[in-house]
Amino acid sequence: MKEPPNEIMRGIFYQYHVPVILFIEQGETMEYKYVGKNYNRPDAISKVTGKAIYLDDIRLPGMLHTAILRPEYAHAKILSIDTASAEKMPGVVKVVTGKGCHYHYGDNIRDLVPMAVEKVRYIGEPVAAVVADTLAHAEAAMQTIKVEYEPLPVYVDARDAMKPGAALIHEENGQYWHLPTLTPTPGTNIANTYRLVKGKGADGMKDAEVILEGEFLFPHGSCSAIEPHGSIVWFKEDKTIEAWSSSICPFIIREDLATSYGVPVSDVRVHIPDVGGCFGYKSDITVEQTVAWIASFVPGRPVKWVATRQEDYTSTLLGHGIRTIMKIGAKKDGKLVAIQATILHSGGAYADTPVNVTMAATHNCTGPYEFEHCDLTGYTVYTNTPAVGAFRGYGHQESQLATERMMDMLARKLKMDPWELREKNFLGEGKVNALGEKMWKTHGDIYKCAEIVKKKVYGKAKHAEDENFYYGRGFAAVMKSPKGAPFSTKGCYMKMNIDGSVSVVMAGAEVGQGLRTVIRQVAGEALKIPPEKVRVYTEIDTQFSPYEWQTIGSMFTTQGGRAIIRAADKLIAILKATAAQVLKTDVDYLEYDGEFIYLCNDPDIRVAIKDINRGYITDDGITIGDMAQAVSDARLPRYSNPDKNGQGSCGVSYTFGVQAAEIRIEKKTGKIFVDKFTSVFDVGQVINPKQIRGSVMGGVLMSIGAALYEKVDYDENGKITNPHFFKYHLPTYKEAPEMDVEFVETPDAIGPFGARGIGEHSVIGPAPAILNAIYDATGVDFFEIPVTPEIMKKALENQGQVTK
Amino acid sequence: MSEKITFTLNDVSTTVDVEPETLLIDVLREDLNLTGTKRGCDNSTCGTCTVVVNGKAIKSCNTPVSKVAGTEVITIEGLAKGMELHPIQKSISESGAVQCGFCTPGIIMELYGLLENNPDITLAEMQNALNKHLCRCTGYEPIRDGALMAQKLMQDRK
Repeated sequence: MKEPPNEIMRGIFYQYHVPVILFIEQGETMEYKYVGKNYNRPDAISKVTGKAIYLDDIRLPGMLHTAILRPEYAHAKILSIDTASAEKMPGVVKVVTGKGCHYHYGDNIRDLVPMAVEKVRYIGEPVAAVVADTLAHAEAAMQTIKVEYEPLPVYVDARDAMKPGAALIHEENGQYWHLPTLTPTPGTNIANTYRLVKGKGADGMKDAEVILEGEFLFPHGSCSAIEPHGSIVWFKEDKTIEAWSSSICPFIIREDLATSYGVPVSDVRVHIPDVGGCFGYKSDITVEQTVAWIASFVPGRPVKWVATRQEDYTSTLLGHGIRTIMKIGAKKDGKLVAIQATILHSGGAYADTPVNVTMAATHNCTGPYEFEHCDLTGYTVYTNTPAVGAFRGYGHQESQLATERMMDMLARKLKMDPWELREKNFLGEGKVNALGEKMWKTHGDIYKCAEIVKKKVYGKAKHAEDENFYYGRGFAAVMKSPKGAPFSTKGCYMKMNIDGSVSVVMAGAEVGQGLRTVIRQVAGEALKIPPEKVRVYTEIDTQFSPYEWQTIGSMFTTQGGRAIIRAADKLIAILKATAAQVLKTDVDYLEYDGEFIYLCNDPDIRVAIKDINRGYITDDGITIGDMAQAVSDARLPRYSNPDKNGQGSCGVSYTFGVQAAEIRIEKKTGKIFVDKFTSVFDVGQVINPKQIRGSVMGGVLMSIGAALYEKVDYDENGKITNPHFFKYHLPTYKEAPEMDVEFVETPDAIGPFGARGIGEHSVIGPAPAILNAIYDATGVDFFEIPVTPEIMKKALENQGQVTK
Repeated sequence: MSEKITFTLNDVSTTVDVEPETLLIDVLREDLNLTGTKRGCDNSTCGTCTVVVNGKAIKSCNTPVSKVAGTEVITIEGLAKGMELHPIQKSISESGAVQCGFCTPGIIMELYGLLENNPDITLAEMQNALNKHLCRCTGYEPIRDGALMAQKLMQDRK
C-alpha cells in the first residue's frame, strides 16, 4: 500500500468522500435525507471492545466438544474402523462413525452425507468423531482411531473425472433426489449438464467473419474468512433441536435438519451469532449436518465444533475450480455475433453446492455483452476434492476471466481499440442478454462507467519501462446478477415503539458487509425518522426472526431494502388509519412526516405519532386503532427457473461496472505489483459512501489475491498441500494497491431508493484486468491464475518465443 | 501437572491453575472466559490473537502461559474504561476499519502495543506492524486510516 495522501494526515475523514456521478432522468439530482450519507455501523462498538459474540465464543451449560477424523485418502473404500482405544480415553463421552447413517441431504441434489458411510470421496471428509468434555481430550482420543482403506482412483480435475471409464465417485449418480431442472448423467461423474441456446446457437458462428478461441482456468480457492467455520448442535430431551452456526442460511439449516431428523420445521431453532466473514462458503448447509449427526449420539448435551484453519480449507466448501473453453465470433467491424462456451466445473465430492455456481458461470459467461447467438454448456463434475460452493462472485469472475481476456485478444485480432470493441457490444438499454432478458435504462449505465475509467486510467501517458520494471495497464468490463431461487425472499418485521423509536427485525446475516447500517438508513428514510431512532436486530434466531431464504447474491440491500419500504408503507398506513379516526377525516387527506399525521389542506390539524402508535387513547380511555407494527417480505419480481432453452428470468437484477489495474512487473523477480486499482460501478444509489467504498476495496483485494497468489494445491493423491495461511497467501497490508472507487447512480427499478447490489461485483474485474495489464506490460498472454513471480519470471525468460 | 501461575490481567491480579505449557489464548478464552481474543489460524500467521504483555504486542496462540507469569497482560477487554473507549477503539470503530470484526481485536492490540509506547512512530513502523495482520474484508485502507486517526488522538492527549 502506498503512503496516504497528505489529506489524511490533515483531515482524516477524506476517505468518506466518495465521488458520485448522478445520472438521473431530467438531469435532476435526487436528494435523500439519510440515504447516501455516512453513518457508523451499529455493531462497530461491540466489535472493537471484543464483546461481539462469534460462534466459538458461545458457552452453553453441559457443552461437549468434538474432534473429527479425516481420511488419509481422497477416494477410498472404508474397510473397517476401530474405535475401541478411543472409547477408553479420558473424557470421552462417545465415539461416532457414519455407520448406520441412512440419510442424504441437500437442497439441489440430495447427495450429501453428514459422515462417510462406506467410502470417502475427498481428503477432508468426516470419517469418525470423538465427543469429549474438552477439545484436547477429543483430539487425543481421535488420534487413536484406526481405519483401513482400499484406495480408489483420484480425480481433482473435471477433465479427468469426465473421461470414459473413469471410476465413479458416486455410483448412485442419477438416483439421488434432485430439482426437476437438473439433469445428472448416470454411470458418469457428471452431476449436471446445463445448456443454454439463444438464437441459432452454434450455427450462429457461421455468421462470424472473425473467430477467436481460448481456454482459461480459475483454480480452486478458499474464501478464507478470518473466522473459521463452526457450529453447535443440541438435541434436546423434548425432541426439539437447537443449533448455532457461523452461517448465512439459518432457515435452510432449520428445514434441512427437520427433514433429516423427522421433526416439524418449527421444532428446530437456529441461531446465527456475529459472523467473522463469509464471502460465500458459509452459505448452504454442510458442516451443521455433520455436527448434528455427531450430536444426535449424545442427546441432551450441546456439541460444539469449530474448524481448525486446516479443516477450514479441507473440510468446508471451496470456491471456483472452473475451466472455461470459449469461442467468440464477430464481424470485421467488431460487432459480436456468436459465443460458444463450455464450462468444466471441478465441483468436488458433492454436487449439491456447486451445481448453481456452474449454471451462473455458464449463463453469465457472455460478460456485459450482447451476442445474438449463444451455445453455452456447463458441466458440474464430481471430483475428489472438497465440494465447491459459493465464493463471492458466484461463477461470474471465473467465466468472465475468459470473456474479458478474449475481448482484449479479439480487439488485437481485429486491430481495434479494446474500449471501442467493448462499447460497441455492451448490454445497454434495449439489448438482450443470453438468458433472453431485455435490458432497460434502470439496469444501469455501463457506458458511463467505461467513460470514467478510461479517463482516469488512460487519460494520462503510460509509465515508461525502466531498468527494473515493466509497466502495464489493463481493464475489464463486468456484469453480475444474483443466482437466486424462485421462492427466495427476505422478510421484515417492523414495530414502532411508544417513543417513536423503531425496532426492525430481519434475518439478513451480518457477515461484515454492513447490512445493519443499511437497514437503519433505509428504514429511517422510509419512515422519515433519523436512523439513530432505528434499532436493528443483533442476532438471527429462527424462533423470532422473519423468514429469509439466505443472505446471498448481493441481494440484501435490493430485496431487504424493498421489504423495509413495504413494511414502512404498511406501518404508515396503520398510523394514518388511526389518525383518520382521531382527526375525523378520510385517510387520503392525511400526510405523514415522521412526527405527525396532519391534514393536507390544514397542517395545523394533526396528531402526534407517539400518541397513536399503540392505538389512540381517547378522553374516556377507550382506545382505537391498530398497533404500529408491520410484517413484509420481498423477492425479485418474476424470477423464474430456466426454460427448455436454458433461458428465462434467471437474473432479473444486474449491476454493471468497469475496473482497471495499473501494474508494475519487477524484471529480476517476476513479482507483480498492483500500484493502483480503479473501480467504477453503476450502483443505482449509494446508501452509505464509507461502507460501499470499504466493500469494493475488500473485494478488489480479495481478487488480486486470486490473480497473483491464491490457489488450493493438490498432490497426485488429492491431498491439499497448502491448507494454512502461511502457504495459502492472503493479500497483506503492503500488497494492497491505492484504490480509486467511484459510482454512477442510475436508479434501479427494484431496490430501495434506486439502490442495486454491489457486495460481490468488485471481485470480477481484477483478475482479467491484471492479466490484460501483464500483456500490456510484457506482451505475454496468461490463460490461468494465479500468476506468481515464478510463473511470470519463467514467462519473461521465454519471452523471445512470444510475439508481442 | 498443573501449576499456579499469577499475572496481572487488565489491571487485576489473576491466578490460574493450569498446565504451564497451555497456550495463553486458551487460558484467556477457556479458563478466564475472555473471548475477545480470537483464534483465526493454526500457525501464528493471522494475528487476530494478539494481546499486549509488558507493553509489547505478542501472539497469544504461540505463547505458553508460563511465559506470562509475573507480567502485565492486557487484552481487548482491558482497553475501554467503563463507557469510555480507548482512542484506538474509537478511531477503528469510526474509520470503516470494522467489517466482520474478527481481525479487529488483534489489530487494536497491535496498535495499542505500538502507540502507547510511542505515539510518534513513523508511518513505516505502523505499516510494518499492520502487515502482520490478515484482514479479508476491508482492503486495509480503512485500517490504516483508523490507525492514523488514533495516532493523532493519542499525540494530542499528551
